[in-house]
Amino acid sequence: MIKEVHMPKLSPKSDEYFFGKWDKQPGDTVKTGDVLFEVETEKAISQVESQEDGILKAQEVATGDATKVGDLVAKIEVG
Amino acid sequence: MKTERETTAPVKPNWLKVTYDQKKVDKMTDLLSGLNLNTVCAEANCPNLGECFGSGSASFIILGPNCTRACRFCDIPHGHPKAVDLLEPLRVAQATKKLGLTHVVVTSVDRDDLPDLGADQFVRTINAIKKLNPNTTIEVLTPDFQGHEDCLDKVIAAGPDVFNHNMETVRSITPKVRNRATYDTSLHVLKYVKEHAPKTMYVKTGIMLGLGETDDEVYQLMDDLRAIDVDFLTIGQYVQPGPKNYTLREWVPMKRYQEYYKQAMKRGFKFVASSPLVRSSYKAKEELEAVENQ
Repeated sequence: MIKEVHMPKLSPKSDEYFFGKWDKQPGDTVKTGDVLFEVETEKAISQVESQEDGILKAQEVATGDATKVGDLVAKIEVG
Repeated sequence: MKTERETTAPVKPNWLKVTYDQKKVDKMTDLLSGLNLNTVCAEANCPNLGECFGSGSASFIILGPNCTRACRFCDIPHGHPKAVDLLEPLRVAQATKKLGLTHVVVTSVDRDDLPDLGADQFVRTINAIKKLNPNTTIEVLTPDFQGHEDCLDKVIAAGPDVFNHNMETVRSITPKVRNRATYDTSLHVLKYVKEHAPKTMYVKTGIMLGLGETDDEVYQLMDDLRAIDVDFLTIGQYVQPGPKNYTLREWVPMKRYQEYYKQAMKRGFKFVASSPLVRSSYKAKEELEAVENQ
């Protein structure tokens, strides 16, 4: 089953961020708690951890992209 | 979709990497907004929010959310102040209990519009916390109260364990980044509290780096603070909240934080926290415990 990963809210004051970099590549095994990607908010670089165990199937955004809370970021195959 | 970066902010260094557990942050945010409370963590968009909320700690900001001053480094909204909420102290005390905090930090926006400049709400909050949480230690981070000693007397008499008032920066940069606040007024606040508070109350201050200060100016500030016997000093990196705020001059290298730590300890501070992500109330509990156990 494919699970979609959406951009979480990473800053109390804003919903738009710059996408930083991927820590996992398509085909990589991903475990819950692994850092999946990094996002630049106003005051920090937030490392976002996976909430799923599975295999990263697709990256939907790239470094430097402007992203909003709720945007599709990745697809992970689980189970 | 590729877009041009809208700010000219320099690339953030690696130490600004933080983890953010949305579930834990959401849980904390729900609890706090259910009580209609503001935290300086959220209001100032603190980079440590994920860590602190994740571990169940928070610093409350009372009398807000709007501040009557517009300091150029700050992310707290400047605007028309709201009427004083007399139930807010009770809610802070209830949240302290609900979160099981053993140390609580209470700060406020500036309230130059109020006759008591906000001092009475600090007193009410300290009293309410003590009543519901007799074993919790209390740290206040106050405005300068325009240097009014009667306001300081009231807060001192309420008996917090730590009295913090931030210098924010060195003398030469103060007028560039602070609004209606002066270096000498802030020094006077700290001096007055130290002279009039019981010996068991610690006096604390903090500064930001990266605003263009020199080593000599930082050392002069340390000397000025030690001359009035300030106990704790926090030193952390300024992170520009947005394009309209004071322009970040420098990501200060770690070795300079280490040097400042050594220089500050040599000058006799009881506790110094000097590292890029240090903020006034970051790990304040651990700080107080470290000193009490000495």
